[in-house]
Amino acid sequence: MSNLSPRTPLLCLVSGLLWANLAIAQHDHSSGEFEVFVAAEAFHGTGQQRADEADPWVNADVIFGLTQHQFRVFGEFNASPDEGDLERFQMGFEFVPETVLWFGRFHQTGSAWNTEHHHGQYLQTDITRPYIERWEDEQGIIPQHITGALFESRKSVGSESAIQFSGGVGAAPALTSTGMDPIDLIGSNPGRHGLSVTGRIAYLPEYVGASSVGLLFGHDDLTASGGHTLPTLRSSRADLTIYGAYIDWTEETWRVVGANYYVDVTLDQGTRNESFISGYLQVERQLPRRFTIFGRVEESSRMQESRYVALFDDHDGDIEIALRRQALGLRWDYARRRALTLELAHVESLEQRSNEVRAQWSAAFP
Amino acid sequence: MERGISVNRLTATAVLLTLLTVAAPALAGEQLVLIVSTDSKIEQLDSLELRKLFLGLTVTHNGNRLRPVLNESDSRVQEIFLQNIVSMSDITYDRRLLRLALIQGQTQPTAYKDVGSLIKVVAADPSAVSYAWLKDVAHDTRIRILRVLWYD
Repeated sequence: MSNLSPRTPLLCLVSGLLWANLAIAQHDHSSGEFEVFVAAEAFHGTGQQRADEADPWVNADVIFGLTQHQFRVFGEFNASPDEGDLERFQMGFEFVPETVLWFGRFHQTGSAWNTEHHHGQYLQTDITRPYIERWEDEQGIIPQHITGALFESRKSVGSESAIQFSGGVGAAPALTSTGMDPIDLIGSNPGRHGLSVTGRIAYLPEYVGASSVGLLFGHDDLTASGGHTLPTLRSSRADLTIYGAYIDWTEETWRVVGANYYVDVTLDQGTRNESFISGYLQVERQLPRRFTIFGRVEESSRMQESRYVALFDDHDGDIEIALRRQALGLRWDYARRRALTLELAHVESLEQRSNEVRAQWSAAFP
Repeated sequence: MERGISVNRLTATAVLLTLLTVAAPALAGEQLVLIVSTDSKIEQLDSLELRKLFLGLTVTHNGNRLRPVLNESDSRVQEIFLQNIVSMSDITYDRRLLRLALIQGQTQPTAYKDVGSLIKVVAADPSAVSYAWLKDVAHDTRIRILRVLWYD
């Protein structure tokens, strides 16, 4: 796939507005959605010169949506002191209830964590997300933002259960001198963007419930260019194939969230292919007075041997790639849509070990 | 003899009807009912459809998307709604709605704290579905009651 011109983002935005206007013109009623998720964080880590990209001291996530009968337009803009990104911008058509075809930039469906929490920090019980689920601009190693088409559907099975299917196809991020760069709907788009195909199939014991268990798949053709990328990788491309399984189960006051990914990295001919495994298990327990205690264990195998993984460690004094981590924390929902969270963690990265403490205030408005 | 039994039955029926008539206003105040506009073509909604609707999922009737309207006119209505319609705590319900907004930009149900405004909105929109105390809607010709959701 060739480089995108700077006009592409504008075309997306304009077509989105036209789509919305068309919908408004054709129907009598419309309904809109506007939510802002805000979080402020304090961080300290032993042996680290600075907080990493995943720990901004403040960030805001703005959700806006318009539903017009079967038409939908939806966006998510995330802003922190370091950046502002239109993370998602989707235009959709709902053929039948709970079956939607979207076009635009979306979060890949093969991630167990990000399709549930996206960038909204308040809805995440803990402060940190597992390293394997990190975003591209936080030195994440799995592509998360895809631009193309996304199909989502939920069908009843029996009297109460449901099967959920989602699949996406589009342009994957490019590997450039700055890391992994997904297509940016506002800024420039360096590098060449290959094909991404991702999917998920899940079983929901209750159609309207919060629990699900399922299988995940992803294939991303990543093209490498510039800076230290080519010498480190010793390949002009890295084709990732990801197989995963996940569980997100709530039983009264208990919740268990876990996922495991097997990642196969195919490099140029003559270069040894790689594979590694990474997974996590988080257990949460609601306590009286709106307290929630949580603990998470992250583990990996063969990540330290991967040249592909090494690409994302820029030796800048923070921890970008964790091989394993143990975290424990307490959250207090002290008021409606307001929470305070404390999280302690021990991290083992490619180069060092560190103990970390984080405190966060998070909220949703209005 | 047969005539005596017949007279007794008539008397008993009359007494029962009198008692029901006298007690009706008191009972009516203790019933939460599912309401739509008289212009609405919705005949009935089962418990699962109702739960889907108020959890922000898409529910249609004759191809029209239904619009849930939350009644927050008093804390008891809210409590019964959470327990009997969506079956979850207030914090869990709020997080579920926020989650749907975050995942797909789904619109959250509109909430009304004034029952008069709520009835006006429901009466004006054939796709709106809400709930209210029977005493608030029993004599309103603009509103149709689908069924009793809860009674004391």
